[in-house]
Amino acid sequence: MRTSLVLAMAAAMLGCGRPGDRIRTVELPGASPLVSFRIVFLTGAASDPEGKQGLANLTAAMLAQGGTSRRSYQEILDEMFPMATEVRYQVDKEMTTFSAVTHVDNLERFYALLREMLLEPGWREEDLKRLREQTINFLRVSLRGNNEEELAKEVLYHEIYRGHPYGHHNAGAVAALERITRADLERFYKEQYTQSRLILGLAGGYPKDFPARLKRDFARLAPGAPAPVERPAPADIEGVQVRLIEKQTRSVAFSIGFPISVKRGDPDYLPLLLMQAYFGPHRTSGGRLFRRMRTERGLNYGDYVYIEYFPRGMFQLEPDPNLARPQQIFQIWIRPVEPATAHFALRLALWELDKLIREGIPPDEFEQARRYLAKYVNLLLKTKDAELGYAIDSLYYGTPQYAEYVREGLKTLTLDQVNAAIRRHLRTRDLYIVAVTAEAAALADRLASEAPSPMRYNAPKPPELVAEDKQVERFRLGIERAQIRIIPVEEVFER
Amino acid sequence: MAPAAGAADKAFPYAYDQYDLANGLRLISVPTDFPNVVSVYIVVHAGSRNEVEPGKSGFAHFFEHMMFRGTRRYPKERYEAVLREAGAASNAYTTDDRTVYHTTFSKEDLETILEMEADRFQNLDYSVEDFRTEALAVLGEYNKNAASPLLKLHEVLRATAFDRHTYKHTTMGFLEDIKDMPNQYAYSRQFFDRYYRPEYTTIVVVGDVDPKAVRALVEKHWGGWKRGTYQARIPAEAPQRAPRSAHIDWHSPTLPWVWVAFKGPAYSDTEKDQVTLDLISFLGFSETSPLYKKLVLEEQSVDSLSVANPDRVDPYLFTVMARVKKQQDVDRIRDEILATFRSFCDQPVDAARLKAVKSHLRYRFALELDNSAAIAATLAAYVGLRRTPETINRVYELYRQITPEDVQAVARKYFVDSGRTIVTLSARGAK
Repeated sequence: MRTSLVLAMAAAMLGCGRPGDRIRTVELPGASPLVSFRIVFLTGAASDPEGKQGLANLTAAMLAQGGTSRRSYQEILDEMFPMATEVRYQVDKEMTTFSAVTHVDNLERFYALLREMLLEPGWREEDLKRLREQTINFLRVSLRGNNEEELAKEVLYHEIYRGHPYGHHNAGAVAALERITRADLERFYKEQYTQSRLILGLAGGYPKDFPARLKRDFARLAPGAPAPVERPAPADIEGVQVRLIEKQTRSVAFSIGFPISVKRGDPDYLPLLLMQAYFGPHRTSGGRLFRRMRTERGLNYGDYVYIEYFPRGMFQLEPDPNLARPQQIFQIWIRPVEPATAHFALRLALWELDKLIREGIPPDEFEQARRYLAKYVNLLLKTKDAELGYAIDSLYYGTPQYAEYVREGLKTLTLDQVNAAIRRHLRTRDLYIVAVTAEAAALADRLASEAPSPMRYNAPKPPELVAEDKQVERFRLGIERAQIRIIPVEEVFER
Repeated sequence: MAPAAGAADKAFPYAYDQYDLANGLRLISVPTDFPNVVSVYIVVHAGSRNEVEPGKSGFAHFFEHMMFRGTRRYPKERYEAVLREAGAASNAYTTDDRTVYHTTFSKEDLETILEMEADRFQNLDYSVEDFRTEALAVLGEYNKNAASPLLKLHEVLRATAFDRHTYKHTTMGFLEDIKDMPNQYAYSRQFFDRYYRPEYTTIVVVGDVDPKAVRALVEKHWGGWKRGTYQARIPAEAPQRAPRSAHIDWHSPTLPWVWVAFKGPAYSDTEKDQVTLDLISFLGFSETSPLYKKLVLEEQSVDSLSVANPDRVDPYLFTVMARVKKQQDVDRIRDEILATFRSFCDQPVDAARLKAVKSHLRYRFALELDNSAAIAATLAAYVGLRRTPETINRVYELYRQITPEDVQAVARKYFVDSGRTIVTLSARGAK
């Protein structure tokens, strides 16, 4: 799976005339009293040097939550406070984003700070100490200790991309974070925060000459070379690989997935987007998987599928923009299930996936999902800030405005195209299953035994469902004992 | 975006139409110029505060789940299909004081949504089997929340701080009550009959709409809804007489937490107490406070410091929570927090800092209102307290009036030892 990006080619064609000419801008002026900034550098965790996993993230944290050469972080907070603004950062594999929304009353005052934060970093030791500890505590306590669902999702990515530039958590690994020095941060900033990798996004009620001013200011960054256009394909997965993360917990959280060679702009993107809308759209009760697992059987709180990275899903209904990548995975998220029904729940999810691949989407459901998506896409862009984020992603992928891209593409999409794309890209073998569980050894034995996992309900069920359960309880997952690894939670994201 | 003329100096800058139907249902419509999208928030003025019977904690939230189980006209599958056809984002949430059902969609589907929602609020119908199955989804929700120590901290703080009032339990409810939910079908029908009534309900419609047309649609589909008779009697909490504390041994590795709470007042848009405590929450414990500077930025002994002074229908709690990096620092951090509370009693605050906090609140509110769904969500929270958007303007006017002397007087009234509860949590065996 080799992918190249239109964007990088476009960047290479730009000349070097006036200062800031290499810098791309995305501008969405409007009458709003608010101004949104999205300042994106095409760098991220995939550019972390070997042994310094987490450097991209810590560099961004130092800019957004550290002092400048002139001001301490405390002074910045004091300045920002009366304006009720803050600079947020997000680091993914290929994109590092600094975003903020300010009221137009405060635009000049806010921008002066933002410019200073991004262009004149302070690299203070006390900021590094605080942000390093904050990041380590995020990995060890917030993620590993307190969030089993996000943990399962992140371990899934970790396993799929082992040995690949995407093969570590965006926040890094504890041992590597402990090694990072101020010199590493400065070097990373100098090499990666360059004009060629920069996209300046602005939306809302800013003055007309404002984008040109930003471009001039950011022209003090080094010109730099364009971002990499290709990433190697992840390693092939052999059979059904199971990773059981063992920790004290009431329930069992699952994530299942494998890489797909489809991104926005590819011919199979919209067919798979429609599949997602039918099979398991995020946090809605309208997806097939949700209906089969939660509504009809009460197995858990919800079940969803993804064709693009969607971190922090338990806290939000819409995905964050600016997580664009040339490679994605297909993923099923099964929210925590009771240990007694874990085996059955896993079987049912894969049974449904198998059925989807074999039988495709029914015609009436296809039409309904198409109408749903054509309207729902408006809601994704309901704020100026989201519209701006999506516009930057469109520039990255070389696609039209997102809502237009989806609506236009859906018009000509056929059921055959969708079902063919499902058959091409989805599968029930050669994948990873990650579970967070208190009793890993017992679950490992159960899974490897392929023993029936009969369901018992607290109320009578329709005969069709009972009959189906009889088949599901024996559905072969194809798991071999040698493909199951038990990982104590203390080891996850340590190195 | 562009607010109505003459309303520009108000905190809530939009013109709105507030309209009462004869059956007691209230409608609030807010036209905005964000194109195409409409948000409908239906606020039921009943939440876990209304769970007065023992063994029924968590029921308001459970009932929120049941509301998605359909009616004869719109069985669950059809209800889902209509939402999907509308490309709608639909969900619901429950708090102590209210249950809110919200849907955001394209404007051409307004009547479809209002009609379908009117049907489920009046004609909800579900089988015992569906009820028992849905109870398991609630247990699933408890399970996913239980991964974080915060759920346990909330449970213990409330159980320790309250004796009689229903704020004693969380909205999620006690685990033993959740496990018993499948057996409570009859009670669920009674709950619906009591609270899913027009006099307990306010509909908020925000977006690309004409308020006159919205009135007509709501009259048409909701006008026939019958008023109820039930009056909830929520037990009043007796004054706390002495400081309280509790400790939680957590079953797996985590950083220790310390949570300091004082009994506070109920929400009010006429009395100064609650808004003054809001200002104190920022003065004393926000990112620009001296305490944050000391603990988080300078000595770096705490990695998270947060404060909450939530608006509630009845008197609730002002709380400050710290996640501490080392177990041996917990007592000292607790004392630092308590000293900060005392400092507000000892001397009036700096006028310039007070001004900065007021500016922060005003801009923060303005920044929240950046789309129709966000405006509706904000309104739902205030409407849940006073049933009118005007309460927002009154509260922000109160903020404007607060002086350093008010801050000191309110601090002395509430930050007293007899109103205090402290809960700590640490990993079992942590030193």
